[in-house]
Formats: sequence, structure tokens, C-alpha cells
Amino acid sequence: MAKNDVTIRTQRLNKSFGTVQAVRNLDLDVMAGSRFGFLGPNGAGKTTTVRILSGLLKQTSGYAEVCGLDVNKDRDAVKAVTGLLPETPGLYSKLSAVEFLEFIGALNGRNGSDLHRRIDSLLGILGLEGRQDDLLESYSSGMKQKVLVSSTLLHEPKLVFLDEPTSRLDPSATAIIKDLILVLAEETDTTFFICTHMTGFAEAVCDVIGLLNEGELVTRGSPQELIESAGARNLEDAYLKIVGGKVDREVLLAWR
Amino acid sequence: MTRKWYHIAKAEFYVLTSGLRRHRKVTVTIMYVLAAVWAAYFAPMIIGGFLGAIMPMEVMRTLLMVMFPGLMRTVILFLWALLLLFPLSHALQEIKIGQWEIFLSNNVKTRDILAGTFVGKIPMYGLIVMVFAPLLISPFMLAFEVSLIGQALVYTVIALMVLSTIWLSNFITAIIQARLGDSSRGNDIAKALSVVVALIVIIPMYGLMLFMPQLSGILGINAFLVMPFTWPADLVSWVTITFNGIGLTGSQILAFGAILQLDMLTSALLMAAFGLAFVPIAITAADRVFTISAGVRTETVTTVGRENVFLRGIRSFAKGPFGALTIVSLKDFGRKAQNLSKIFYGVVLAIILPMLMQQITIVEGEVFEAAEILPMISIMIGVVGVFPFAGTGFLESKDQLWIIRSAPKGASHFMRARVATGFMMAIPLSLAPTIAMTLMFNLALLSAVQIFCAAYVTVCGAVMVSMGITAQNPNYEDTKSSAHQTVLITSMMLVQFTLIGPLFATIFLDIGLGFNLFRFMESIFGLSGFMVVELVLGPTVLLLVGGLMLHLGIRSLGKVEV
Repeated sequence: MAKNDVTIRTQRLNKSFGTVQAVRNLDLDVMAGSRFGFLGPNGAGKTTTVRILSGLLKQTSGYAEVCGLDVNKDRDAVKAVTGLLPETPGLYSKLSAVEFLEFIGALNGRNGSDLHRRIDSLLGILGLEGRQDDLLESYSSGMKQKVLVSSTLLHEPKLVFLDEPTSRLDPSATAIIKDLILVLAEETDTTFFICTHMTGFAEAVCDVIGLLNEGELVTRGSPQELIESAGARNLEDAYLKIVGGKVDREVLLAWR
Repeated sequence: MTRKWYHIAKAEFYVLTSGLRRHRKVTVTIMYVLAAVWAAYFAPMIIGGFLGAIMPMEVMRTLLMVMFPGLMRTVILFLWALLLLFPLSHALQEIKIGQWEIFLSNNVKTRDILAGTFVGKIPMYGLIVMVFAPLLISPFMLAFEVSLIGQALVYTVIALMVLSTIWLSNFITAIIQARLGDSSRGNDIAKALSVVVALIVIIPMYGLMLFMPQLSGILGINAFLVMPFTWPADLVSWVTITFNGIGLTGSQILAFGAILQLDMLTSALLMAAFGLAFVPIAITAADRVFTISAGVRTETVTTVGRENVFLRGIRSFAKGPFGALTIVSLKDFGRKAQNLSKIFYGVVLAIILPMLMQQITIVEGEVFEAAEILPMISIMIGVVGVFPFAGTGFLESKDQLWIIRSAPKGASHFMRARVATGFMMAIPLSLAPTIAMTLMFNLALLSAVQIFCAAYVTVCGAVMVSMGITAQNPNYEDTKSSAHQTVLITSMMLVQFTLIGPLFATIFLDIGLGFNLFRFMESIFGLSGFMVVELVLGPTVLLLVGGLMLHLGIRSLGKVEV
């Protein structure tokens, strides 16, 4: 897929769970090789959008296409070209990091020495080489997140969905993930679709930001464009101005 | 000043009765009223009627008096084991020491935690005892025509035993939970223990049902005078004798006294001392029990070693991703203590049946042929195949399912590997009853091979049914959830009905169409038609049903959520 091709396209995408409208008329274009930051408050519909785009959830109405594939009709093909880092870790506590990654590789049809070379390299980059044979039950949440990041990248997907990739990571691990995203996007044309609350991280990594509120895309543009259009100092300030969320000091003490 | 223990007890009670939700108070009150009516009126009436139908009360009285008080010790042992181990097994299914952090950070004294968790358990477990105790005690009350005061005293003794046992159980539970800690490893060991503990309750139950004379004889010996369940049992025996209405003579009472060894006062004092001793012990130790561990990073780290010969064999035999997935699946299954304890449980269950049959052989002089044993064992083995694979040992969380689903045909690949794991685990489950039966009945090698093949096919069928049903309704290791109970019961019922189904079908065919399938099978195979139907048709249908369940399971697990 050449640069400037569209990797993700949605048209009037809707998703309802009973009376709750999780995603509302979402129109989105994400270019190949870009790093798209999907920001929004809790419950805004970010994870639901990711699950629809990765072929795990059926939309209520509208159209969604990933790498030229219809997410409704070509689910297995969509899964083959995408990687998903879920919001919460679903690791096997009684497997080691290497064994878990071998499991993910095998699920994606890979095995043998090539798979093991990749596993060793990824775990080395993420600083887990000394603990790779320890059972995952003894890992801290940050270490588990690193294993999950490795599992997402293992089969070299063209499009990577990262749902809160740095929420459990310390600053140095966050920096490694940031650099890994930047180098993969630049060198291999991998597209990243990143759901996050970390505005600082989004500002540093993403070239395009979409702001979702109550299932609706309220604005999109480069971080700088969003900051300037909101008349804010930085992305966090812009986020608060657009979405709201600032509470007066008096209100903060009113519960007493 | 708030009564902190009271609020902990209230929370504990709410947790135990969470299924009742908003109608909790009304439902619990109704249940208590019904239990009281049951205990005071219906249970003695039903038991009396039942016993009367079996044999005249005079004969029953003589029989009970011969086995008394060993029999009373057996009955109280069952109640004691139930009270001590059932709450323990229940609590171990889910380690909850995370709540201790909340208690301790809110300046709650450890003795309040102990008292609160104890008081909170009394209503529900008390109710269970109100249902079971009259069933077990009524025969003695009826046989000895114990006066109302005597009966009130007997139930008072049982109530005091219940309180002291729940206190002890609560204390032991807290110690075990603290030792295991709120970690993945601790939870796994706890769940494994909960299965083993349940087995300890089942053994006296089987003993009570099937080997009552032998067990009563064993428990009647003096060595058991040091066991805490003996004191309340002997006290109940003394009260029963003292307040009897059948006019026991002085020499008869003396004879009972000789068997009981300790007099009424000593038994009462020992029981009270045991119950009361644990109150200060538990309160003193509470500060050391309710402690928060430093977290997962301080726990022992398990590092995996080189793969063993068996796994390397699979790897060289199945070189592709399927082999790799099967190996990982085997490692995940085999490293969980709770899965291994369920396999152990299955093996014990599988050995119990031949033991029962041997007992029948000894008592009733019946001699079983392999041909007769096989159909019976196949039905029992079905249960053995279901238990370790239904509900648990499948997916730890919904997040795992998202990961599996995010791979192309991920659910299908995952399920195939899991089933291969199940088929391998079926080998020890089938081998255990085969060895037991071969040794117990001195069977020939050919018969042993026949038994193994029949058992293996049945277990594999049960594995497919269990995994297929679990995949359609995964409960993610939550053994207390309704999904888990549904999966377990559905799998059990489906396997049992599938195995027995051909027999009923044969009978209906004979009655309805006049076609005797047994005779038809016999004419083709030259073997007993019953044996062919039960050994070939039952497992064959089970494999087909298992295949169908697997297919539905794979579809359900891989489906797109709506």
C-alpha cells in the first residue's frame, strides 16, 4: 500500500447497544503510514470503533473499510493485515512471554525459527530479554503491556490498532513505544490507529488527531491545528476546551 | 460508635445471598420459616414413614442400637466436615483479601474482621444445617422416642457445634487466604484446594451412604475419642439415651456408657473447651493473619525450563502452527493447579465406581463379568470426562477472547488445539478406572483393553461436548457464576442422556414398532445386543453429539459480536 492511500475509511458508521448510541455517523479517512490519534473521554466510543474496524464487532449501520477490505465481508483478511492491542491485558498467566508470543504467532499461522527470532528481537527491544522465560503471572502490569505490544506487532501488520498503549507504562517504556511507532511508520509504512487519554503522548507521536465525544467525531486535524483552532496552549488544554471537563474549585470542595 | 463487625457481617451476608438481591430479607425469612417447619414436622414424618416402609420400628431400633454410637459419630462427622470444609471450598474459589486492604485502611480492628466474617456466614450455613440435621438425627429420635426436652437439647448441642465449626472454618479460611495471597498463583492454588476439599466432604458422604456399618465400626473405636467431632456426637448420644422413651434399662445404659467411654459431662466439657479455646486463639492470631502481602513482585518467580520429551515429540510430529498451539495449550492447562486437581478428582470418581461394585460383589455375592461392568462404567466415565473440561481451564478473561478473535480463524485454531489437549488428558482419565477394575476383578488383558477403549472413546466424547458447550457460554474462570453452573449441568446432562438415550430408543422401538434392536444387534455381531447398544451405539452417538457441540462452539466463539 503506497503512502497517501487511504487505509481506513468509514462512512456514516453507527453502533448502538440497546438505547446507548456508542458511535454516531462517523466519517473517517486515515492515510497509509500515518499515526492517527483517537482522543476522547471515557465511554466516547473509541474502543467500539476499534473493535468494528478490526472485524470483531458488527456495526449497526454505515460502511467501514480497512486496507481496501470491507470489515463486514472480509473479516479474516482484515484480521490478517491488522494487529490489535486491546485496552486490558488478556494474557495467559501460566505461560512465559516467549510461549505466549509463540501462541499468538501460531494463531496467525506462523511458527519455527523465524517466529522465534522475531520474538527474541521484540522482547530484547522492549527490555524483557532477562525475564522472557518467567511465567506472566509474575510480571508487573507494565511488563505485561510490553508483551502485548510485542504480540500486536509480531505478524507485521499493515495497520496497528493500539487501545491505550501507554496507560500502564513508565516514562522510559513509553519513550520506547513512541520511538517504535515512529520508526515503524516511517520505515515500513505501517499505519497506527492509537486510542489514548495521554494528550502528551498523542501530541508527540500522532500526525493526525481525531476527537471523539459521545460517539461523534467533533474535530480532526494535526495536533498544531487543533491547538490553534481552540486557542489553547497545548493539546491537553485544547482537549479540555473542546470536550469540557474543567471543574471550578468551589465545586471540587462542595461534597464536604 | 459504629459496630464495624456488624457492617462486615452485613456485607458478607449480602455476598452469600447475592442471588436473592432485592427480595433478600423476605426470601431469607420465608426460607427460615420453611426450614423450621421442615425440621420440626415434615422431616421426622417423612423419615418415620420411610423407615416404617423399609422395616418395622422394633427391628430398626435394634439395628440402630447395635451401631449406636458409632453411627452417631458418622452422622456428626458428615455435618462437621460439611460445615468445616464447604465454606472453605466456597471461599477458596475466589480469594478476596483485596477487601482486607479496605478494612485495614479504614482502621478496622482485625478482631472485627474475624467476628464480622463469622457472623455473616451463620445465617446461610445455619439454614443448610436446619435442612440436613433433621434428616440425619430424626431416625435416632424416632427409634429412641426421645422426649421434647431431649430433642431440644440435641438440637442445642448441634447448634453449638455448628457455631464453633463455622468459627474454626472461618479462621482456617482466613489463614489459607492470607498464605496464598491475592495473586494469579494464589488464586490458582486456592481453586485447586477447593476441589480437593470438596472431595474430602464427598468421602464421608459416600461412606454414610454405602459403607455405614463398616464406617460406624471404625469410628466407634476409642482412637476417635481425640477427634473434635466425637465430643458433640457422644454428647448427642448421651442426651438421646438419657431422654429416651423406650425404657432403656440401667444395664443397657451402662453398656452404652462403656462404648462411649467418656461420660456426658466430660463430652460436654471437651466440646465446650474446644469451641471456646479457638475464640481467644483466633482473636490473638488475627493481627498476624490479616496482613497485606507486598504484591506480585515479591512472590516466587517461576521460570520455565526446556520442553520435556513428550512436548518435543509433539513438536516433531506436528510441525506446523497446530502443533505449536497444541503444545502451548497443554502447557497452559497442565500448569494450572486447579486443572490438575480436577483431573485428580476425575480419577478418584472413576475409581469409586469399581470400588462400589466390588463392595456389592462382597456383600451380595454377585459376580460381575467385564461385559456387565462396561456399560455401567461408560456412564460414570462420561461424568469424569465432563468435570475437568466444562466451564474452567478454557479462557481466563474476555480480553483473551478478543486476542484470539483478532487472528484470522483464531477461534477455530484455538478450539482445535484445546480439543487435542483434552484428548491427551483423556488418557489418564481412562487408564485409572481400567487399572482399578483390572486389579479388583482380576480381568484378562483383553477385557482391560476393551474397558480402556470404551472409556477413552466416552471421555473424548465428553471432552468435545464440554468444550463445545463452554465455548458457547464461556464463564472465564468464574466458578461462582451462573454461566459456569449452566455449562457444567448442561454438559453433564447431555453426556448422560446421550449415553443412556440409545437404550431408551431401543425400548421405545420395541414397544412402538415391535422392532427389537438388541436382538438385531446380537444377530449381526454375535455379542449381547445390550452390550453392543450400550458400548458401541452410546459412545458413537456421544461422539456425533460432541462433534456437533464443537462445531457450534467454534462458530459461537468466532462470531462477530453484535
